[in-house]
Amino acid sequence: MDSTLLALPVLIPWVLAAALALLDGRRPYVGWIAVAGLGAGFTCVLGLTFLVIRGGPVETVAGGWPEGVGITLRADALGVAFAVVSIGVILASLVYEVLGGVRSRTFPALVAFMAAGLTGLFLTGDAFNFYVFFEISMTAAYALTGYREKDYQVRAAFIFAVINLLGSVIFLIGVAALYHVTGSLDMEVIAERASRVQPSSIISIATAVFVAFSLKLGLFPFHFWLPAVYVGSHPPVAAILSGALANIGGYGLLRFGADVLPRELELGTVAVLILGTASIIYGALQAISRHETAEVLAYSAIGQAGYILLALGIGGPVGYAAAVVYAVVNSMNKALLFLAAGTRGPLVGAAFAVGAFSVVGVPPVAGFVGKLAMFRASVEAGSVALTALIFFGGALSFVYVFQIYQRVFWASDEKEKAGPLPTRVLVLLLAGLVLAAGLWPEPLLVLGEAAARVLEDGP
Amino acid sequence: MILLLSLVIAVVFGSGAFLILQRDLFRVVVGIVLISNAANLFIISAGLTRGDPPIRPFPDGATIADPLVQAMALTAIVISSSVAALLLSLVYRLYLAHDSVDIEDVSAAEVREAEALEGDEDVELREDPR
Repeated sequence: MDSTLLALPVLIPWVLAAALALLDGRRPYVGWIAVAGLGAGFTCVLGLTFLVIRGGPVETVAGGWPEGVGITLRADALGVAFAVVSIGVILASLVYEVLGGVRSRTFPALVAFMAAGLTGLFLTGDAFNFYVFFEISMTAAYALTGYREKDYQVRAAFIFAVINLLGSVIFLIGVAALYHVTGSLDMEVIAERASRVQPSSIISIATAVFVAFSLKLGLFPFHFWLPAVYVGSHPPVAAILSGALANIGGYGLLRFGADVLPRELELGTVAVLILGTASIIYGALQAISRHETAEVLAYSAIGQAGYILLALGIGGPVGYAAAVVYAVVNSMNKALLFLAAGTRGPLVGAAFAVGAFSVVGVPPVAGFVGKLAMFRASVEAGSVALTALIFFGGALSFVYVFQIYQRVFWASDEKEKAGPLPTRVLVLLLAGLVLAAGLWPEPLLVLGEAAARVLEDGP
Repeated sequence: MILLLSLVIAVVFGSGAFLILQRDLFRVVVGIVLISNAANLFIISAGLTRGDPPIRPFPDGATIADPLVQAMALTAIVISSSVAALLLSLVYRLYLAHDSVDIEDVSAAEVREAEALEGDEDVELREDPR
Protein backbone atom coordinates (compact mmCIF):
# COMPACT_ATOMS: atom_id res chain seq x y z
CA MET A 1 0.00 0.00 0.00
CA ASP A 2 2.73 2.44 1.01
CA SER A 3 4.87 1.63 -2.00
CA THR A 4 1.87 2.07 -4.32
CA LEU A 5 1.26 5.50 -2.89
CA LEU A 6 4.94 6.26 -3.43
CA ALA A 7 4.89 5.22 -7.09
CA LEU A 8 1.53 6.80 -7.98
CA PRO A 9 2.54 10.51 -7.79
CA VAL A 10 5.29 9.81 -10.30
CA LEU A 11 3.28 7.47 -12.52
CA ILE A 12 0.06 9.46 -12.80
CA PRO A 13 1.56 12.66 -14.31
CA TRP A 14 3.83 10.51 -16.44
CA VAL A 15 1.07 8.49 -18.12
CA LEU A 16 -1.04 11.64 -18.26
CA ALA A 17 1.71 13.56 -20.06
CA ALA A 18 2.21 10.80 -22.62
CA ALA A 19 -1.53 10.68 -23.32
CA LEU A 20 -1.89 14.48 -23.45
CA ALA A 21 0.95 14.77 -25.92
CA LEU A 22 -1.29 13.07 -28.47
CA LEU A 23 -4.22 15.42 -27.90
CA ASP A 24 -4.78 19.01 -28.93
CA GLY A 25 -4.18 21.01 -25.75
CA ARG A 26 -6.11 24.01 -27.06
CA ARG A 27 -9.41 22.25 -26.58
CA PRO A 28 -10.85 22.99 -23.13
CA TYR A 29 -11.66 19.35 -22.37
CA VAL A 30 -8.00 18.36 -22.82
CA GLY A 31 -6.99 21.08 -20.39
CA TRP A 32 -9.52 19.82 -17.86
CA ILE A 33 -8.28 16.22 -18.25
CA ALA A 34 -4.81 17.54 -17.42
CA VAL A 35 -6.19 19.39 -14.40
CA ALA A 36 -8.02 16.27 -13.19
CA GLY A 37 -4.96 14.07 -13.63
CA LEU A 38 -2.62 16.48 -11.89
CA GLY A 39 -5.24 16.90 -9.16
CA ALA A 40 -5.16 13.12 -8.64
CA GLY A 41 -1.35 13.24 -8.50
CA PHE A 42 -1.51 16.10 -6.02
CA THR A 43 -3.94 14.14 -3.83
CA CYS A 44 -1.52 11.19 -3.82
CA VAL A 45 1.35 13.46 -2.79
CA LEU A 46 -0.82 14.85 0.01
CA GLY A 47 -1.65 11.33 1.18
CA LEU A 48 2.03 10.42 1.03
CA THR A 49 2.91 13.51 3.07
CA PHE A 50 0.43 12.47 5.73
CA LEU A 51 1.92 8.96 5.80
CA VAL A 52 5.50 10.22 6.00
CA ILE A 53 4.78 12.68 8.79
CA ARG A 54 2.93 10.02 10.77
CA GLY A 55 5.13 7.01 10.18
CA GLY A 56 8.50 8.17 8.91
CA PRO A 57 10.11 7.71 5.49
CA VAL A 58 8.55 5.37 2.93
CA GLU A 59 10.92 3.43 0.72
CA THR A 60 10.63 1.02 -2.17
CA VAL A 61 12.97 -0.43 -4.79
CA ALA A 62 11.65 0.01 -8.31
CA GLY A 63 11.00 -3.06 -10.45
CA GLY A 64 11.23 -5.56 -7.59
CA TRP A 65 15.04 -5.64 -7.68
CA PRO A 66 16.89 -6.57 -4.51
CA GLU A 67 17.93 -3.68 -2.32
CA GLY A 68 21.28 -2.21 -3.32
CA VAL A 69 20.82 -3.21 -6.96
CA GLY A 70 17.63 -1.53 -8.08
CA ILE A 71 16.81 2.16 -8.10
CA THR A 72 15.35 3.32 -4.80
CA LEU A 73 12.31 5.54 -4.48
CA ARG A 74 12.36 7.17 -1.09
CA ALA A 75 9.91 9.67 0.34
CA ASP A 76 11.03 11.51 3.45
CA ALA A 77 9.72 14.71 4.99
CA LEU A 78 12.13 16.92 3.04
CA GLY A 79 11.14 15.43 -0.33
CA VAL A 80 7.39 15.46 0.26
CA ALA A 81 7.47 19.04 1.57
CA PHE A 82 8.94 20.23 -1.72
CA ALA A 83 6.78 17.87 -3.78
CA VAL A 84 3.54 19.13 -2.22
CA VAL A 85 4.27 22.79 -2.81
CA SER A 86 5.70 22.31 -6.31
CA ILE A 87 2.82 20.19 -7.59
CA GLY A 88 0.39 22.56 -5.91
CA VAL A 89 1.90 25.54 -7.72
CA ILE A 90 1.93 23.70 -11.05
CA LEU A 91 -1.70 22.68 -10.59
CA ALA A 92 -2.77 26.24 -9.75
CA SER A 93 -0.93 27.66 -12.74
CA LEU A 94 -2.40 25.04 -15.06
CA VAL A 95 -5.93 25.79 -13.85
CA TYR A 96 -5.24 29.51 -14.36
CA GLU A 97 -4.12 28.98 -17.94
CA VAL A 98 -6.94 26.57 -18.79
CA LEU A 99 -9.47 29.08 -17.44
CA GLY A 100 -7.89 31.82 -19.52
CA GLY A 101 -7.62 29.68 -22.65
CA VAL A 102 -4.62 27.56 -23.68
CA ARG A 103 -3.01 28.77 -26.90
CA SER A 104 -0.72 25.90 -27.77
CA ARG A 105 -1.44 22.22 -28.30
CA THR A 106 1.54 21.11 -26.22
CA PHE A 107 0.99 23.21 -23.10
CA PRO A 108 -0.92 20.70 -20.90
CA ALA A 109 1.42 17.85 -21.85
CA LEU A 110 4.52 19.91 -21.06
CA VAL A 111 3.11 20.93 -17.70
CA ALA A 112 2.34 17.29 -16.90
CA PHE A 113 5.86 16.26 -17.94
CA MET A 114 7.30 18.87 -15.64
CA ALA A 115 5.13 17.65 -12.77
CA ALA A 116 6.27 14.07 -13.43
CA GLY A 117 9.92 15.13 -13.46
CA LEU A 118 9.60 17.17 -10.30
CA THR A 119 7.79 14.52 -8.23
CA GLY A 120 10.29 11.93 -9.41
CA LEU A 121 13.17 14.15 -8.44
CA PHE A 122 11.81 14.87 -4.98
CA LEU A 123 10.95 11.23 -4.30
CA THR A 124 14.02 9.45 -5.61
CA GLY A 125 16.84 8.11 -3.48
CA ASP A 126 19.27 7.65 -6.34
CA ALA A 127 21.68 10.36 -7.48
CA PHE A 128 21.66 9.46 -11.18
CA ASN A 129 17.92 9.02 -11.21
CA PHE A 130 17.77 12.48 -9.69
CA TYR A 131 19.71 13.78 -12.70
CA VAL A 132 17.36 12.07 -15.16
CA PHE A 133 14.21 13.46 -13.56
CA PHE A 134 15.92 16.82 -13.28
CA GLU A 135 16.55 16.82 -17.03
CA ILE A 136 12.96 15.82 -17.77
CA SER A 137 11.56 18.74 -15.84
CA MET A 138 14.19 21.14 -17.19
CA THR A 139 13.52 20.13 -20.80
CA ALA A 140 9.81 20.68 -20.28
CA ALA A 141 10.69 24.07 -18.78
CA TYR A 142 12.77 25.11 -21.82
CA ALA A 143 9.85 24.38 -24.08
CA LEU A 144 7.38 26.06 -21.70
CA THR A 145 9.42 29.28 -21.60
CA GLY A 146 8.81 29.64 -25.31
CA TYR A 147 5.05 29.13 -24.83
CA ARG A 148 3.05 31.68 -26.87
CA GLU A 149 6.04 31.81 -29.26
CA LYS A 150 6.60 35.54 -29.18
CA ASP A 151 10.10 36.43 -30.35
CA TYR A 152 11.26 37.57 -26.93
CA GLN A 153 9.92 34.36 -25.40
CA VAL A 154 11.89 32.19 -27.81
CA ARG A 155 14.98 34.27 -27.07
CA ALA A 156 14.38 33.78 -23.34
CA ALA A 157 13.93 30.04 -23.89
CA PHE A 158 17.25 29.83 -25.73
CA ILE A 159 19.17 31.68 -22.99
CA PHE A 160 17.45 29.59 -20.35
CA ALA A 161 18.23 26.33 -22.14
CA VAL A 162 21.91 27.06 -22.80
CA ILE A 163 22.71 28.28 -19.28
CA ASN A 164 20.80 25.55 -17.51
CA LEU A 165 22.21 22.83 -19.74
CA LEU A 166 25.65 23.93 -18.62
CA GLY A 167 24.43 23.62 -15.04
CA SER A 168 23.03 20.14 -15.74
CA VAL A 169 26.30 18.99 -17.27
CA ILE A 170 28.22 20.25 -14.25
CA PHE A 171 25.82 18.36 -12.01
CA LEU A 172 26.19 15.21 -14.11
CA ILE A 173 29.97 15.43 -13.79
CA GLY A 174 29.49 15.83 -10.04
CA VAL A 175 27.32 12.68 -9.90
CA ALA A 176 29.86 10.68 -11.92
CA ALA A 177 32.66 11.90 -9.66
CA LEU A 178 30.66 10.92 -6.57
CA TYR A 179 30.17 7.48 -8.11
CA HIS A 180 33.89 7.25 -8.75
CA VAL A 181 34.76 8.13 -5.15
CA THR A 182 32.06 6.15 -3.35
CA GLY A 183 31.20 3.39 -5.84
CA SER A 184 27.48 3.89 -5.41
CA LEU A 185 24.63 5.99 -6.70
CA ASP A 186 22.26 5.52 -3.78
CA MET A 187 22.21 8.77 -1.79
CA GLU A 188 22.25 7.00 1.58
CA VAL A 189 25.25 4.86 0.64
CA ILE A 190 27.05 7.87 -0.88
CA ALA A 191 26.51 9.85 2.33
CA GLU A 192 27.71 6.96 4.46
CA ARG A 193 30.85 6.31 2.42
CA ALA A 194 31.62 10.00 1.82
CA SER A 195 31.75 10.50 5.57
CA ARG A 196 34.64 8.05 5.73
CA VAL A 197 36.94 9.66 3.13
CA GLN A 198 38.97 12.83 3.44
CA PRO A 199 36.76 15.89 2.81
CA SER A 200 39.52 17.37 0.65
CA SER A 201 38.86 14.73 -2.02
CA ILE A 202 35.15 15.54 -2.15
CA ILE A 203 35.23 19.30 -1.70
CA SER A 204 35.69 19.95 -5.43
CA ILE A 205 32.74 17.65 -6.23
CA ALA A 206 30.67 19.45 -3.60
CA THR A 207 31.59 22.77 -5.21
CA ALA A 208 30.47 21.53 -8.64
CA VAL A 209 27.15 20.36 -7.21
CA PHE A 210 26.73 23.66 -5.37
CA VAL A 211 27.36 25.65 -8.56
CA ALA A 212 24.86 23.51 -10.50
CA PHE A 213 22.06 24.06 -7.98
CA SER A 214 22.88 27.74 -7.48
CA LEU A 215 22.39 28.18 -11.22
CA LYS A 216 18.92 26.62 -10.98
CA LEU A 217 17.99 28.67 -7.94
CA GLY A 218 19.40 31.90 -9.41
CA LEU A 219 21.72 32.84 -6.57
CA PHE A 220 23.73 36.02 -6.84
CA PRO A 221 26.76 35.32 -9.02
CA PHE A 222 24.79 32.76 -11.09
CA HIS A 223 21.62 34.80 -11.54
CA PHE A 224 22.38 36.57 -14.84
CA TRP A 225 19.96 34.48 -16.93
CA LEU A 226 17.03 34.74 -14.56
CA PRO A 227 15.54 38.21 -15.17
CA ALA A 228 15.44 37.76 -18.96
CA VAL A 229 13.61 34.44 -18.59
CA TYR A 230 11.06 35.51 -15.97
CA VAL A 231 10.28 38.76 -17.79
CA GLY A 232 9.78 37.00 -21.09
CA SER A 233 7.55 34.25 -19.79
CA HIS A 234 3.78 34.25 -19.81
CA PRO A 235 2.51 34.78 -16.18
CA PRO A 236 1.45 31.17 -15.41
CA VAL A 237 4.73 29.91 -16.90
CA ALA A 238 6.68 32.40 -14.78
CA ALA A 239 4.71 31.18 -11.75
CA ILE A 240 5.66 27.59 -12.57
CA LEU A 241 9.32 28.49 -13.14
CA SER A 242 9.75 30.47 -9.94
CA GLY A 243 7.29 28.60 -7.74
CA ALA A 244 8.00 25.01 -8.76
CA LEU A 245 11.12 24.64 -10.91
CA ALA A 246 13.34 26.87 -8.74
CA ASN A 247 12.59 24.43 -5.91
CA ILE A 248 15.01 22.02 -7.60
CA GLY A 249 17.79 24.38 -6.55
CA GLY A 250 16.63 24.74 -2.96
CA TYR A 251 15.91 21.04 -2.58
CA GLY A 252 19.19 20.03 -4.26
CA LEU A 253 21.22 22.30 -2.00
CA LEU A 254 19.50 20.89 1.09
CA ARG A 255 19.65 17.27 -0.06
CA PHE A 256 23.19 17.19 -1.42
CA GLY A 257 24.57 19.81 0.96
CA ALA A 258 23.01 19.03 4.32
CA ASP A 259 22.08 15.38 3.80
CA VAL A 260 24.69 13.75 1.55
CA LEU A 261 27.79 15.92 2.05
CA PRO A 262 27.35 17.61 5.45
CA ARG A 263 31.05 17.86 6.27
CA GLU A 264 31.82 19.64 3.01
CA LEU A 265 28.92 22.02 3.65
CA GLU A 266 30.41 22.82 7.03
CA LEU A 267 33.76 23.59 5.41
CA GLY A 268 32.07 25.98 3.02
CA THR A 269 29.84 27.71 5.59
CA VAL A 270 31.52 31.09 5.23
CA ALA A 271 31.21 31.06 1.42
CA VAL A 272 27.55 30.01 1.69
CA LEU A 273 26.75 32.82 4.14
CA ILE A 274 28.55 35.44 2.04
CA LEU A 275 26.78 34.39 -1.17
CA GLY A 276 23.45 34.37 0.64
CA THR A 277 24.02 37.89 1.98
CA ALA A 278 25.12 39.14 -1.44
CA SER A 279 22.01 37.61 -3.03
CA ILE A 280 19.64 39.23 -0.55
CA ILE A 281 21.12 42.71 -0.88
CA TYR A 282 21.74 42.59 -4.63
CA GLY A 283 18.29 41.16 -5.41
CA ALA A 284 16.47 43.70 -3.25
CA LEU A 285 18.39 46.74 -4.55
CA GLN A 286 17.95 45.70 -8.18
CA ALA A 287 14.26 45.01 -7.59
CA ILE A 288 13.75 48.50 -6.17
CA SER A 289 15.35 50.10 -9.21
CA ARG A 290 13.19 48.25 -11.77
CA HIS A 291 9.85 49.33 -13.13
CA GLU A 292 8.29 46.40 -14.88
CA THR A 293 6.37 44.07 -12.56
CA ALA A 294 7.86 40.83 -13.89
CA GLU A 295 11.36 42.28 -13.65
CA VAL A 296 10.87 43.36 -10.04
CA LEU A 297 9.56 39.90 -9.17
CA ALA A 298 12.51 38.26 -10.95
CA TYR A 299 15.05 40.20 -8.92
CA SER A 300 12.96 39.57 -5.83
CA ALA A 301 13.35 35.83 -6.56
CA ILE A 302 17.14 36.26 -6.50
CA GLY A 303 16.89 37.99 -3.12
CA GLN A 304 14.53 35.40 -1.66
CA ALA A 305 16.84 32.57 -2.75
CA GLY A 306 19.50 34.25 -0.61
CA TYR A 307 17.44 33.63 2.54
CA ILE A 308 17.30 29.90 1.80
CA LEU A 309 21.08 29.85 1.40
CA LEU A 310 21.50 31.84 4.61
CA ALA A 311 19.40 29.33 6.55
CA LEU A 312 21.40 26.49 4.98
CA GLY A 313 24.62 28.16 6.11
CA ILE A 314 23.34 28.56 9.67
CA GLY A 315 22.48 24.87 9.71
CA GLY A 316 21.39 22.85 12.70
CA PRO A 317 17.78 21.77 13.29
CA VAL A 318 16.53 25.37 13.47
CA GLY A 319 18.42 26.51 10.36
CA TYR A 320 17.30 23.57 8.20
CA ALA A 321 13.70 23.90 9.38
CA ALA A 322 13.86 27.61 8.50
CA ALA A 323 15.25 26.80 5.03
CA VAL A 324 12.42 24.35 4.28
CA VAL A 325 9.66 26.58 5.66
CA TYR A 326 11.06 29.60 3.83
CA ALA A 327 11.36 27.70 0.54
CA VAL A 328 7.76 26.46 0.77
CA VAL A 329 6.39 29.90 1.68
CA ASN A 330 8.47 31.56 -1.02
CA SER A 331 7.02 29.21 -3.68
CA MET A 332 3.49 30.06 -2.63
CA ASN A 333 4.28 33.80 -2.63
CA LYS A 334 5.85 33.75 -6.08
CA ALA A 335 3.00 31.75 -7.59
CA LEU A 336 0.43 34.13 -6.09
CA LEU A 337 2.31 37.28 -7.14
CA PHE A 338 2.98 36.20 -10.73
CA LEU A 339 -0.59 34.97 -11.24
CA ALA A 340 -2.09 38.08 -9.63
CA ALA A 341 0.14 40.36 -11.70
CA GLY A 342 -1.08 38.58 -14.84
CA THR A 343 -4.69 39.63 -14.47
CA ARG A 344 -6.71 42.72 -13.59
CA GLY A 345 -10.03 43.54 -12.02
CA PRO A 346 -11.78 43.93 -8.67
CA LEU A 347 -10.13 42.21 -5.70
CA VAL A 348 -7.06 41.13 -7.72
CA GLY A 349 -5.24 44.04 -6.08
CA ALA A 350 -6.23 42.69 -2.67
CA ALA A 351 -4.87 39.25 -3.58
CA PHE A 352 -1.63 40.84 -4.77
CA ALA A 353 -1.40 42.78 -1.51
CA VAL A 354 -1.68 39.52 0.46
CA GLY A 355 1.24 38.13 -1.57
CA ALA A 356 3.16 41.38 -1.11
CA PHE A 357 2.69 41.27 2.66
CA SER A 358 3.80 37.66 2.57
CA VAL A 359 7.06 38.56 0.78
CA VAL A 360 7.73 41.23 3.37
CA GLY A 361 6.82 38.91 6.24
CA VAL A 362 4.07 40.83 7.97
CA PRO A 363 1.61 38.87 10.13
CA PRO A 364 -0.86 37.26 9.68
CA VAL A 365 0.16 35.92 6.25
CA ALA A 366 2.38 32.88 5.52
CA GLY A 367 5.48 34.97 4.90
CA PHE A 368 5.49 35.90 8.55
CA VAL A 369 6.00 32.24 9.50
CA GLY A 370 8.96 32.03 7.12
CA LYS A 371 10.53 35.25 8.35
CA LEU A 372 9.97 34.20 11.97
CA ALA A 373 11.76 30.90 11.32
CA MET A 374 14.63 32.86 9.74
CA PHE A 375 14.84 35.18 12.76
CA ARG A 376 14.84 32.20 15.11
CA ALA A 377 17.67 30.61 13.12
CA SER A 378 19.74 33.80 13.16
CA VAL A 379 19.21 34.24 16.92
CA GLU A 380 20.18 30.60 17.41
CA ALA A 381 23.35 31.26 15.43
CA GLY A 382 24.02 34.11 17.86
CA SER A 383 24.80 36.58 15.11
CA VAL A 384 23.52 40.14 15.38
CA ALA A 385 24.71 40.87 11.84
CA LEU A 386 22.51 38.11 10.38
CA THR A 387 19.45 39.23 12.34
CA ALA A 388 20.00 42.79 11.16
CA LEU A 389 20.46 41.58 7.57
CA ILE A 390 17.17 39.69 7.60
CA PHE A 391 15.39 42.72 8.97
CA PHE A 392 17.06 45.01 6.43
CA GLY A 393 16.20 42.65 3.57
CA GLY A 394 12.58 42.59 4.72
CA ALA A 395 12.47 46.39 4.78
CA LEU A 396 13.84 46.60 1.25
CA SER A 397 11.33 44.04 0.01
CA PHE A 398 8.58 46.18 1.51
CA VAL A 399 9.69 49.03 -0.75
CA TYR A 400 9.77 47.05 -3.97
CA VAL A 401 6.56 45.03 -3.65
CA PHE A 402 4.53 48.06 -2.71
CA GLN A 403 6.08 50.02 -5.54
CA ILE A 404 4.48 47.47 -7.86
CA TYR A 405 1.25 47.66 -5.94
CA GLN A 406 1.20 51.43 -6.23
CA ARG A 407 2.05 51.50 -9.92
CA VAL A 408 -0.16 48.68 -11.09
CA PHE A 409 -3.11 48.39 -8.78
CA TRP A 410 -3.56 51.90 -7.38
CA ALA A 411 -3.42 53.66 -10.69
CA SER A 412 -6.81 52.30 -11.70
CA ASP A 413 -7.04 52.54 -15.40
CA GLU A 414 -10.57 52.48 -16.78
CA LYS A 415 -9.33 51.29 -20.13
CA GLU A 416 -7.96 48.10 -18.66
CA LYS A 417 -10.23 45.16 -19.06
CA ALA A 418 -10.88 43.00 -16.02
CA GLY A 419 -9.62 39.46 -16.30
CA PRO A 420 -12.18 36.63 -16.56
CA LEU A 421 -14.01 35.98 -13.31
CA PRO A 422 -12.82 32.36 -12.80
CA THR A 423 -9.13 33.34 -12.93
CA ARG A 424 -9.78 36.12 -10.45
CA VAL A 425 -11.52 33.65 -8.14
CA LEU A 426 -8.51 31.32 -8.46
CA VAL A 427 -6.10 34.11 -7.54
CA LEU A 428 -8.28 34.98 -4.56
CA LEU A 429 -8.31 31.33 -3.47
CA LEU A 430 -4.51 31.27 -3.62
CA ALA A 431 -4.38 34.45 -1.56
CA GLY A 432 -6.75 32.80 0.92
CA LEU A 433 -4.40 29.82 1.12
CA VAL A 434 -1.39 32.05 1.83
CA LEU A 435 -3.43 33.82 4.50
CA ALA A 436 -4.61 30.52 5.99
CA ALA A 437 -1.05 29.17 6.12
CA GLY A 438 -0.15 32.25 8.15
CA LEU A 439 -3.12 31.98 10.50
CA TRP A 440 -2.68 28.25 11.07
CA PRO A 441 1.05 27.66 10.58
CA GLU A 442 1.04 24.32 12.43
CA PRO A 443 1.21 22.01 9.34
CA LEU A 444 3.96 24.11 7.77
CA LEU A 445 6.08 24.09 10.92
CA VAL A 446 5.57 20.36 11.52
CA LEU A 447 6.70 19.69 7.96
CA GLY A 448 9.73 21.94 8.36
CA GLU A 449 10.76 20.34 11.63
CA ALA A 450 10.30 16.82 10.29
CA ALA A 451 12.44 17.71 7.26
CA ALA A 452 15.12 19.21 9.49
CA ARG A 453 15.13 16.01 11.55
CA VAL A 454 15.77 13.99 8.37
CA LEU A 455 18.75 16.21 7.56
CA GLU A 456 20.06 16.27 11.12
CA ASP A 457 20.03 12.52 11.62
CA GLY A 458 21.75 11.90 8.33
CA PRO A 459 20.22 9.47 5.85
CA MET B 1 45.33 5.76 -19.76
CA ILE B 2 44.04 8.03 -17.01
CA LEU B 3 46.21 10.90 -18.22
CA LEU B 4 45.10 10.35 -21.81
CA LEU B 5 41.43 10.29 -20.84
CA SER B 6 41.68 13.41 -18.74
CA LEU B 7 43.46 15.21 -21.56
CA VAL B 8 40.76 14.17 -24.04
CA ILE B 9 37.99 15.29 -21.67
CA ALA B 10 39.77 18.58 -21.03
CA VAL B 11 40.21 19.29 -24.74
CA VAL B 12 36.60 18.40 -25.60
CA PHE B 13 35.23 20.45 -22.70
CA GLY B 14 37.52 23.35 -23.53
CA SER B 15 36.50 23.42 -27.19
CA GLY B 16 32.87 23.29 -26.14
CA ALA B 17 33.33 26.18 -23.74
CA PHE B 18 35.10 28.15 -26.48
CA LEU B 19 32.24 27.54 -28.92
CA ILE B 20 29.60 28.58 -26.37
CA LEU B 21 31.27 31.99 -26.16
CA GLN B 22 30.93 32.56 -29.91
CA ARG B 23 28.42 34.91 -31.54
CA ASP B 24 26.96 32.35 -33.91
CA LEU B 25 24.09 30.53 -32.23
CA PHE B 26 24.80 27.30 -34.14
CA ARG B 27 28.26 27.26 -32.65
CA VAL B 28 26.72 27.72 -29.22
CA VAL B 29 24.60 24.61 -29.82
CA VAL B 30 27.62 22.64 -31.05
CA GLY B 31 29.48 23.83 -27.95
CA ILE B 32 26.72 22.46 -25.73
CA VAL B 33 26.84 19.13 -27.60
CA LEU B 34 30.61 18.94 -27.12
CA ILE B 35 30.36 19.73 -23.42
CA SER B 36 27.66 17.08 -22.94
CA ASN B 37 29.96 14.59 -24.62
CA ALA B 38 32.81 15.60 -22.34
CA ALA B 39 30.48 14.71 -19.48
CA ASN B 40 29.72 11.34 -21.09
CA LEU B 41 33.43 10.62 -21.38
CA PHE B 42 33.83 11.63 -17.76
CA ILE B 43 31.13 9.14 -16.73
CA ILE B 44 32.87 6.35 -18.63
CA SER B 45 36.20 7.22 -17.06
CA ALA B 46 34.62 7.38 -13.59
CA GLY B 47 34.10 3.62 -13.69
CA LEU B 48 37.01 2.48 -15.80
CA THR B 49 37.56 -1.16 -14.88
CA ARG B 50 39.01 -4.15 -16.71
CA GLY B 51 37.24 -7.46 -16.59
CA ASP B 52 34.88 -9.89 -18.25
CA PRO B 53 31.68 -8.55 -19.77
CA PRO B 54 28.94 -8.39 -17.15
CA ILE B 55 26.76 -11.07 -18.74
CA ARG B 56 25.37 -13.98 -16.76
CA PRO B 57 26.54 -16.67 -16.09
CA PHE B 58 29.75 -15.23 -14.71
CA PRO B 59 32.88 -17.37 -14.99
CA ASP B 60 34.23 -18.43 -11.58
CA GLY B 61 36.63 -16.06 -9.90
CA ALA B 62 36.72 -13.61 -12.79
CA THR B 63 36.55 -9.85 -12.26
CA ILE B 64 33.57 -8.26 -13.93
CA ALA B 65 33.73 -4.91 -15.68
CA ASP B 66 31.52 -2.21 -14.17
CA PRO B 67 28.27 -2.20 -16.19
CA LEU B 68 26.72 0.76 -14.41
CA VAL B 69 28.77 3.46 -16.13
CA GLN B 70 27.72 2.13 -19.53
CA ALA B 71 24.08 2.41 -18.53
CA MET B 72 24.61 5.91 -17.18
CA ALA B 73 26.50 7.07 -20.27
CA LEU B 74 23.80 5.64 -22.53
CA THR B 75 21.10 7.51 -20.64
CA ALA B 76 23.15 10.71 -20.71
CA ILE B 77 23.72 10.36 -24.46
CA VAL B 78 19.99 9.98 -25.10
CA ILE B 79 19.25 13.05 -22.97
CA SER B 80 21.94 15.20 -24.56
CA SER B 81 20.94 14.28 -28.11
CA SER B 82 17.29 15.09 -27.51
CA VAL B 83 18.18 18.37 -25.84
CA ALA B 84 20.43 19.21 -28.79
CA ALA B 85 17.44 18.67 -31.08
CA LEU B 86 15.37 21.02 -28.93
CA LEU B 87 18.12 23.66 -29.02
CA LEU B 88 18.40 23.41 -32.79
CA SER B 89 14.66 23.91 -33.15
CA LEU B 90 14.91 26.99 -30.94
CA VAL B 91 17.72 28.35 -33.12
CA TYR B 92 15.62 27.71 -36.22
CA ARG B 93 12.72 29.57 -34.67
CA LEU B 94 15.07 32.48 -33.84
CA TYR B 95 16.34 32.42 -37.41
CA LEU B 96 12.80 32.67 -38.75
CA ALA B 97 12.11 35.64 -36.49
CA HIS B 98 15.34 37.59 -37.00
CA ASP B 99 16.65 36.33 -40.35
CA SER B 100 19.99 35.72 -38.70
CA VAL B 101 21.67 33.40 -36.22
CA ASP B 102 24.11 36.01 -35.00
CA ILE B 103 23.67 36.94 -31.35
CA GLU B 104 24.37 40.60 -32.17
CA ASP B 105 21.36 40.84 -34.50
CA VAL B 106 19.18 39.01 -32.03
CA SER B 107 20.11 41.24 -29.12
CA ALA B 108 19.76 44.34 -31.30
CA ALA B 109 16.16 43.28 -31.91
CA GLU B 110 15.74 42.86 -28.17
CA VAL B 111 17.00 46.39 -27.49
CA ARG B 112 14.66 47.78 -30.16
CA GLU B 113 11.70 46.07 -28.53
CA ALA B 114 12.68 47.29 -25.07
CA GLU B 115 12.97 50.85 -26.35
CA ALA B 116 9.60 50.64 -28.02
CA LEU B 117 8.20 49.42 -24.72
CA GLU B 118 9.73 52.25 -22.73
CA GLY B 119 8.77 54.90 -25.27
CA ASP B 120 5.12 54.10 -24.94
CA GLU B 121 4.22 52.76 -21.51
CA ASP B 122 0.53 52.43 -22.26
CA VAL B 123 0.96 50.03 -25.12
CA GLU B 124 0.92 46.52 -23.72
CA LEU B 125 3.38 44.80 -26.00
CA ARG B 126 4.15 42.02 -23.57
CA GLU B 127 0.67 40.81 -22.96
CA ASP B 128 -2.15 40.80 -25.44
CA PRO B 129 -5.42 41.58 -23.65
CA ARG B 130 -7.65 38.59 -23.38
